[in-house]
Amino acid sequence: MSQLTINNVRIAGMSACVPAQVEDNRTLPIYKDESEALKVIASTGIERHHKVEPGTTASDLTVKAVERLLEDMGWQPDEVDCFAYVCTSRDYIAPQTACILQDRLKLRNDCCVFDLPFGCSGWVYGMSIVGSMMSHGTLKRAILVAAETNTQNRNQRDTTVRPLFGDAATATALEFDPEHSRPMNFMYGVDGAGFDAVWAPYGGMRNPVTADALEEKEVSPGVFRRGVDMIVNGMDVFGFAIKRPPRSLKELISTFNIDVETVDLLFLHQANKFIDEKIRKAIQIPPEKTPYCLEEYGNVTSASIPLTMVTRCQDKLSGATQQHCLACGFGVGLAWASMEFYANDVKVSDLVTY
Amino acid sequence: MNLEEFIENFAAQFDDTEADQFTADTKFKQLDEWSSLAALSIIAMVDDEYDVIIKGNDIISSDTIKDLFDVVVNLRG
Repeated sequence: MSQLTINNVRIAGMSACVPAQVEDNRTLPIYKDESEALKVIASTGIERHHKVEPGTTASDLTVKAVERLLEDMGWQPDEVDCFAYVCTSRDYIAPQTACILQDRLKLRNDCCVFDLPFGCSGWVYGMSIVGSMMSHGTLKRAILVAAETNTQNRNQRDTTVRPLFGDAATATALEFDPEHSRPMNFMYGVDGAGFDAVWAPYGGMRNPVTADALEEKEVSPGVFRRGVDMIVNGMDVFGFAIKRPPRSLKELISTFNIDVETVDLLFLHQANKFIDEKIRKAIQIPPEKTPYCLEEYGNVTSASIPLTMVTRCQDKLSGATQQHCLACGFGVGLAWASMEFYANDVKVSDLVTY
Repeated sequence: MNLEEFIENFAAQFDDTEADQFTADTKFKQLDEWSSLAALSIIAMVDDEYDVIIKGNDIISSDTIKDLFDVVVNLRG
């Protein structure tokens, strides 16, 4: 088992930005009537999501979220030593979006910046990567972004994805602070055999974009896609999600001798309520300790855990009482990661709208 | 693994379809109540009861409940 413990680093602040435009699943033009929409809502728990206007990128949302975070934290942009950008809906094929954001956010020219093209597991993975770099003690302040415009790389006439996915950017401020930090523990997992459970087949080097890849085709009744659009094979994702994440959390719990009774909050990737409830029950965390934001924002992939923290747990995380937290991100890859951490006195900004 | 018990477990995932509608030869995807959510319930039931994960393609390529039963038997090895 690959496991990791990080010392000396704490979450100091969090912020999030969502686009103003809201798309309600009850009135989506892809359903023949409202009862069909209500069935989807009942089975997924997702009622609506926020959606960017075409042309707005995840990095645009990110600028808003990070500027708000820096302001609320009282950090100057030139005090940020490390900036990591978890995102798959990147601005350009090259360069990394983090480089462009260095300039837009006025970060230092010697700031350590990089993209992390993870999906749903990305915030947990990103916490382990950035936290680990910081734990050495020379990078004092870092920002970990998890942002995605899922509505732009999925087909709007694909009934299997449109009601489920939304757009958001989140920013997490991390601080090297031996005095006020407690260890963060991580477990990793991957199953590349399931790479085509969630994927975009065209547009990379394996299958370059061709005229045919840009043509929209009806792949099954009511499901339209182009070769470059993201495909989500719901049944395979479901089979994966009810098996791997609970096992990963159980491994985390046993490896690090976690007393589940002492857990205050469980943050799950907001995939859908049916999946998440199965995971929650498998590790026996009560519902009142498991916040959800998917009803309002849908599945925002890597941003879903931090968005849940910002929009549902502002008071708890910013309070003085230490919150014992578990988190599990899982999805595209197939990749997953679980973590244990503590949080208190976190500056959690009010949600920003773009 | 027992076919009758599998059929019972299969039937238990449906609320509106009478239990006597489910036999080994039932073409389950033709049931009025069949839906993508029903498919997920079946995947979850197979995981809970038989400890294997069936794929979307296993459901797509199975016509009858017996077909799916055979898939699960094979996966269990």
